[in-house]
Amino acid sequence: MRESGDALVLLLAGGIGSRLNLLVGHRAKPAVPFGGIYRIIDFSLSNVMNSGLTKVGVLTQYKPLSLMSHIGDGAAWDFTGRTRGIKILPPRTGEQDSDWYKGTADAIRQNIDFILANPSEQVVVLSGDHIYRMDFDAMLSYHQHKRADITIGMMVVPKRDIHQFGSGIIDNDNRVVDWEEKPKVPRTNLASMGIYVFDTAYLLRTLARDRKEADFGMDIIPRAINEDRVYAYPFYGYWRDVGTIQSYWETNMDIIRENSGISPEDWEIRPNPEYGGRPMDRAPARFLDGGKVASSLISAGCVIEGTVINSVLSPGVRVKKGAVVTNAVIFDDAVIGENAVVDLAILDKRVQVGAGAVVGIGDNLTFANKDFPKHLYTGISLIGKEAKIFANARIGRNCIVNFGYSDDSFSGQDVLADGQSA
Amino acid sequence: MLRPSTLAMILAGGRVDELGVLTHYRPKSAVPFGGFARVIDFPLSNLLHSGIERIAILSQYRSYSLINHIGTGAAWDMIGRNRGISILPPFKDYDNPHWYRGSADAVFQNLDYIQYYGPSQILVLSGDHIYQMDYRKMIRYHNEHNADLTAAFVEVPAESASRFGVAEIADDFDDGGRMLSYEEKPVNPKGRWASLTVFCFRPSVLFEVLKKNQQGNSYEFGRDIIPMMMRERFNVHGYKFRGYWGYTRTIDEYWQTSMDLLGPDPKIDLEAWGIRTNLAHRNIADRQPVKIGTHGSLENSMAYNGCIIDGTVRNSILFPGVRVMAGAEVNDSILFFDNTVHQGVRLNRVVSDVNTVFNDNVRVGAPQCEKPSRVSVIGWNNSVPEGFHIGCGCRVAPRIDAAKWPKNNALPDGEELQ
Repeated sequence: MRESGDALVLLLAGGIGSRLNLLVGHRAKPAVPFGGIYRIIDFSLSNVMNSGLTKVGVLTQYKPLSLMSHIGDGAAWDFTGRTRGIKILPPRTGEQDSDWYKGTADAIRQNIDFILANPSEQVVVLSGDHIYRMDFDAMLSYHQHKRADITIGMMVVPKRDIHQFGSGIIDNDNRVVDWEEKPKVPRTNLASMGIYVFDTAYLLRTLARDRKEADFGMDIIPRAINEDRVYAYPFYGYWRDVGTIQSYWETNMDIIRENSGISPEDWEIRPNPEYGGRPMDRAPARFLDGGKVASSLISAGCVIEGTVINSVLSPGVRVKKGAVVTNAVIFDDAVIGENAVVDLAILDKRVQVGAGAVVGIGDNLTFANKDFPKHLYTGISLIGKEAKIFANARIGRNCIVNFGYSDDSFSGQDVLADGQSA
Repeated sequence: MLRPSTLAMILAGGRVDELGVLTHYRPKSAVPFGGFARVIDFPLSNLLHSGIERIAILSQYRSYSLINHIGTGAAWDMIGRNRGISILPPFKDYDNPHWYRGSADAVFQNLDYIQYYGPSQILVLSGDHIYQMDYRKMIRYHNEHNADLTAAFVEVPAESASRFGVAEIADDFDDGGRMLSYEEKPVNPKGRWASLTVFCFRPSVLFEVLKKNQQGNSYEFGRDIIPMMMRERFNVHGYKFRGYWGYTRTIDEYWQTSMDLLGPDPKIDLEAWGIRTNLAHRNIADRQPVKIGTHGSLENSMAYNGCIIDGTVRNSILFPGVRVMAGAEVNDSILFFDNTVHQGVRLNRVVSDVNTVFNDNVRVGAPQCEKPSRVSVIGWNNSVPEGFHIGCGCRVAPRIDAAKWPKNNALPDGEELQ
């Protein structure tokens, strides 16, 4: 049962997440598969459901199709019913507005009609990009108790990471007294998680003030801390922004690791079992003689004849005889051929790795990708959707193989060298 | 109204005593099978793939589990303006003061339902078997030969034929022929074609024979209806089915049939057969992928989402939510939903119903067991006390009270604990 009153949820799901490279080539970041059977947005949606909130608007922008079909009618998160609902809110052309959202506050401003149409006492603004579990009902109660205008979900992060976040300085009562957006030189280690509770009336007033205030972190909050009641809601626990290939990979691996603090099932995270050809309608995973699996997540429909260690496999992945898969994240229905080797790689849906091929060859993990040195620099190689790696091909570290790639090369002596793209 | 050309009626009423503890709280057709599904999912998935969209399920024994499993029917795409699954429970009214008195009586009592839809043929199926069949082929045969009844048969070894309805079928066509004789569970079977309990009837004939059957005192398709139709010289055909046929009438058969799921080229290929189940039942859609720990291992086994494996699993089938702790061993066993196997446990040839806990160092079965019955079966919601030894071929009833477990910590081979 919910303690707090009626609140409306607005989920910002428009980010491109371009640092995820090929993974966001066909889908928005919140729709990127995660943890075998989930999509990133399942964590936010499930948190909303588990907090007892029942009215949600999802603000989309970039490549929304995959996301829209994933959300469907929202039944997977119990958002169907006479007074419940989830609505997709795409950008629109207004009389004088250009159609794209210019920032978080601008996105909400362009959907004021949705806020007015769903009367509420508070509005919860979330991002659909994060892996965490949080009770928004408790946060709403806290907000009401503090009689705050704005409450910001905040957590302690290492000081070296603070430059990626909005950071706040608080007093003894958790009231935010100073604010810096993405500071170069951090004065505190308290970071904003991009989770806000607003009093609805206050939000409407503040958005109406100045149309040039496009972003909460950059514009609205720095002004509000001087004039209004802005509080920090401290969050302790597992939270990751899986915005980079490295953090995406690490967070997947955390599900396997003991005591890492993340457990989608214990967190009651719900996937959408109806989406995309009913991915859950798969037979139980089959483990054949001669295969070996350790420290891994294996989804239904997988058939394992080879070796899988330290990896996360989505439904329907086949690992054939003699194949060795280590430290990999593999999406639905990929096939790893006989005696093939995959190490330290992310394989998108329906990738085929031919017999005897090697993905992730050599020990030089630090030779960054030439085209995207900021995306791939820790040894992880990326194989795009439906790419075909021919038999005996060899792919190095920090490599990118594009979607649907299917040239018969990189076999024999011809290696896709470390840091190269195909 | 778009009239369905075929109406399917699934006989799902029975309890099947031989399955004992697995059917204390559910009908046979709702018994879990195949690591995530239920027995009735096999005929339902066959119907889906055969394009038959109007289905009635005749259910009598403890039907809640079945009703819950069927849900809206959406799992099998049976929800829509011209599609649907109805569950027909027994009822009493002015004419009918009794429960379903047998399979034929169950259909007879629902003649009004059948007449409402007015199908061209009526398919009567058992909900108790493991097989893949395209019913359209049989219906096509039925119509080509203008049959009043076409019944499906499978060839079985002579020594096991006496457990079934057995027919002699003329070699008229590749896929079947006129039925020459039919005997229900004969001591000395004349033929080797065993009935699958898959019948295709001409509706007018079905109405006629069911009505006539009401005058007798036994109301079964196999025992009464087919022999009557043979006597009265209706056009009765046998359709020869040549695919895999798994029966699960006893615990040992259930175990044996389940083992056909395993291996590199399994006889029962769930994926190829397109078996669908209701993913909302026991929340199986919400379970995370199978999690295998550093020391966990699975050989020649099957496990569905929600399992956590830190111990050793061989030749076994694990339903969603089974936990095998480090230092536990599960061999040749079938563990239903949410079993927990603690450290030091050894399971050999066990079928364990849902929510059962095997506490530290429990032993059930042994690697080598003597005949006749070697599989041990544990009813649901049991907590087998620490260090307890259960022999081979034992039966443990559901939810045994903590005080009722024998104090000597042992249940000898073949014993039953009530």
